[in-house]
Amino acid sequence: MPISPISPIASSITPITRPGGAQDTAATSNSAADFGKSLTGALDDLDAKQKATDELSRAAATGDLQSVEDLMIASTETQLATQLTVAVRNRAVESFNEIMRMQL
Amino acid sequence: MSTPFSSLGAPASGMRVYQTWINALSDNVANINTINPAGEPAFQERYVVARSSGGSAVAPGGSRANAGIGDGAYIAGTEYGDPGGRMVYQPDHPYADENGMVRMPDMDLSTQMTNLIIAQRAYQANVTVFERARDSYERALEIGR
Repeated sequence: MPISPISPIASSITPITRPGGAQDTAATSNSAADFGKSLTGALDDLDAKQKATDELSRAAATGDLQSVEDLMIASTETQLATQLTVAVRNRAVESFNEIMRMQL
Repeated sequence: MSTPFSSLGAPASGMRVYQTWINALSDNVANINTINPAGEPAFQERYVVARSSGGSAVAPGGSRANAGIGDGAYIAGTEYGDPGGRMVYQPDHPYADENGMVRMPDMDLSTQMTNLIIAQRAYQANVTVFERARDSYERALEIGR
């Protein structure tokens, strides 16, 4: 009894193409670099603010502080910048966790 | 300004300006009765010159719609009053000249005290603006929680 061979199915399957093509990957890595750069910039800015506040706090402790408002302004700015950085970090970690929970 | 918390800059600069003005006024009040010999200049009243940090106006058709907004004020310099002061007859004063005259600063204490109240209230107003801006930013950061 002759057995009919199984016809290959590969020819009937068209490979899935991404809507944006190969370009998309490059754009993603670019935006990732931009996000990393902006994050590093924000951290550098925060670090500079904290150093300035540290300097003014030291001046206040040693009695060298020229004006009270300078310390309060610097500490408020540092506080807000820290809160902003922490908020951005929390959102980023949240997004990462969400992606890690994704069913593959 | 392009920092993320730029609204804090203008009230902060206002606080510095009024702090300087209060310093100048306290200098004036401290020297309100300073007597100099007739041959020397009197204590000169201190005036603080405040200027707007922003540009002349919003740039017409500029790329930044908020150009010249939120830059605050700064101390451009100090001006001094009349060194001539006013001559006062105090014949028994050690500094009195042969006519019994000494030189006193030409300042009015009530004007100084009025300006002091204006400066104090303006400083407090800037603190209030600063607090409002800080509270607004804190409220905006609540979005991320």
